Amino acid sequence: MKKYLSILLVALAMPFTVTPVNAATEVTFWHMEGVPHRVDRIQSLIDEFNSANPDVVVTQEVQNWGEIYAKAPASVASGTAPEILVGIPDFTPILAEMGAAQPVDDFISELDSKYGFYSKALDQYTYNGHTWAVPLWNMAISVWYRKSVLEAAGVQPPTTWSELEAAAKALTKDGMYGIGLPGNKQLYTDQTIYSFMVNSGASEIYNSDGSLRFDNEGTVKAYDAYKNLYQYSAPDAANWTWGEAEACFASNGCAMILQFTVISTYDSQAEGDAEDLGVIQIPYADGMADSAGTVSYVNSAMIMTDDAAKMDASKRFISFLMEPGNYGRFINMEPGLFLPITEAGSKDDTFWNDPVAVKYKSQIETMLDNSTRGSLFGFTNGNTFTSISAISAQNLLSQTLQLAIIDGQNAASAVAEGQSIMTEAIE
Amino acid sequence: MKYQNKEGWIFVAPLLCWLAFSICVPLYIAIELSFFDIKIIGTEGKFVGFKNYIKTLNSSKFPKALTNSIYWVLANAITQTFFAFLIALTLNKHFKGVKIATNWIILSFIIPTVVIVVIWKLMLSSSSGIINSLLVQFHIIDKPIGFFSSSTSAFVSLVLINSWRWSPFLALIILSGLKSINQEIYDASKIDGASFYAEFFQITLPQLKGVLFVLGLVGTLLSFNVFDIIWLITKGGPSSATTTLPLLIYETAFTKFRISQAAALSVITSFILLTFSIVFIKIMGKDND
Repeated sequence: MKKYLSILLVALAMPFTVTPVNAATEVTFWHMEGVPHRVDRIQSLIDEFNSANPDVVVTQEVQNWGEIYAKAPASVASGTAPEILVGIPDFTPILAEMGAAQPVDDFISELDSKYGFYSKALDQYTYNGHTWAVPLWNMAISVWYRKSVLEAAGVQPPTTWSELEAAAKALTKDGMYGIGLPGNKQLYTDQTIYSFMVNSGASEIYNSDGSLRFDNEGTVKAYDAYKNLYQYSAPDAANWTWGEAEACFASNGCAMILQFTVISTYDSQAEGDAEDLGVIQIPYADGMADSAGTVSYVNSAMIMTDDAAKMDASKRFISFLMEPGNYGRFINMEPGLFLPITEAGSKDDTFWNDPVAVKYKSQIETMLDNSTRGSLFGFTNGNTFTSISAISAQNLLSQTLQLAIIDGQNAASAVAEGQSIMTEAIE
Repeated sequence: MKYQNKEGWIFVAPLLCWLAFSICVPLYIAIELSFFDIKIIGTEGKFVGFKNYIKTLNSSKFPKALTNSIYWVLANAITQTFFAFLIALTLNKHFKGVKIATNWIILSFIIPTVVIVVIWKLMLSSSSGIINSLLVQFHIIDKPIGFFSSSTSAFVSLVLINSWRWSPFLALIILSGLKSINQEIYDASKIDGASFYAEFFQITLPQLKGVLFVLGLVGTLLSFNVFDIIWLITKGGPSSATTTLPLLIYETAFTKFRISQAAALSVITSFILLTFSIVFIKIMGKDND
């Protein structure tokens, strides 16, 4: 009797003591694409991957751009970090420094040989002898306008800053703001002011020794131009993020805006007339055509685990996303916003066959072209230093801008004060 | 009597223990953190003594945030007290629908803060907000204004939104005080020919001393620590015009990644609030024993 009782007890205890040999490896995927249709698209790809890979279970968790800078390091410290974290370049150095983001050099070589990364994509993630994340897609800011509105005002699409200011002035009438420019202390404003800096030859934030070179003639010129243009923007632009600018354009409240894309809102909430939607590269400072460019953000996936099984599962999932056939569907979670980052991806039929991509093909081609001249503050010419995270996370470019547009300082003194704020921040 | 005292202590002992634990432990952790140079939660740092305190007190941000906090508390106290008295005195009258009105005003502090923020941001928007639209329509302004775009207007707008939220709550507390005043005192004053103002300043206010003492203390501490509405609407901007001490602590900890410096700032803030409470109780509490 005792013997049978022992066997019964052991049998009952088995499920609690023995780990099943074929337990699936769990991978948590954090991203900040919280718009419902983007979440749905990612989920459909995850479902496909999970059913094709029964030994891996990927789950997505949507985070918020406004909180991720604080939340990700805290999650690492508390041991609850995800296996994969989608991020932007200025977010990676701090996680790499913490030992959370893992180097992915070999994995990048493997993907590069298959799909061919554009070189600029890898530049934003390669420093300190390693590549720290897998580029997923690119985004670049352009100027958006309605051709009919410019024609009615007798304004040509501007190519230089003086033309841009003249256009903004001419278009500010009848309740319409000539240009929608944000003045918030926020990432969107960092992006727009930097896109001006690029076009006045001030794309470099750092010297090669890691000291700051923010306070220079080009930066002052960019801040001055922005300040002049800001008077033609909406009164509440000091609180704008991307959404408010798009809404202003969609509602015909703003004649021009600087934005990654307006295609989705224009198509669904405005006229949706592809023929009338204009997009051009950011105008450059007068006489500085050679500096023409924009700000571009290569979004990437960081692998945040050093567990071999989880790392392998994470790589398999990322490889799945990068495969032609999946890749176009992946980045078309928001058609007309995310741009391909690989040569194979830019030829992927699933990217170009999307109905929105078909309808707005010429605009997307212009966006792609603009993105090739994109750069990002703190990630230029190999002058990348981990302290850029402090400048980005605290939105110090836009804080400096507020000194000029809210506090009324002239551009030169605002930029000088900005440099001292940045110096203190990176100490 | 002694037995009753003992019994009372036994009943409140668990709560006292819990309060002591929940206040002392975080405070101890904050004080300990403030003597190190830890940047990100969970990472290691070395002992730096009072360096974080010196750095905080010497920074340009601290005096500005402290000044903003003082203005914030004063502006809210004045605005909320005014509206709370207005509401409470109105609801203390007998009129049809007074019960519905009393229940209705509770809504503003039942609604989640995020919803309040969304509603007010929409209403105050310069491109689609109803308030701008009405102001333009009635020719009060020529063109829409940005309520959160300049330092002063952002600060005033936030005070009004926060007061809109909390005034009804204060009004209910004042109303309960008003209800407890013996009606016979008012009747006697009426016979003596007292005016409304004489009634208010010589009967109502003195009778509400106890209630106002509690409101003054608790309300100030609550106002000082308001974070959500400010953060969700302006994030402390524009140009740090609405950055109060709680926001500066958050920014220092979670955007600057200086957790030890944020801890030092928290300890300084706690000290300021504790000093205020002691002084307030000493001065105002004399007549409320």
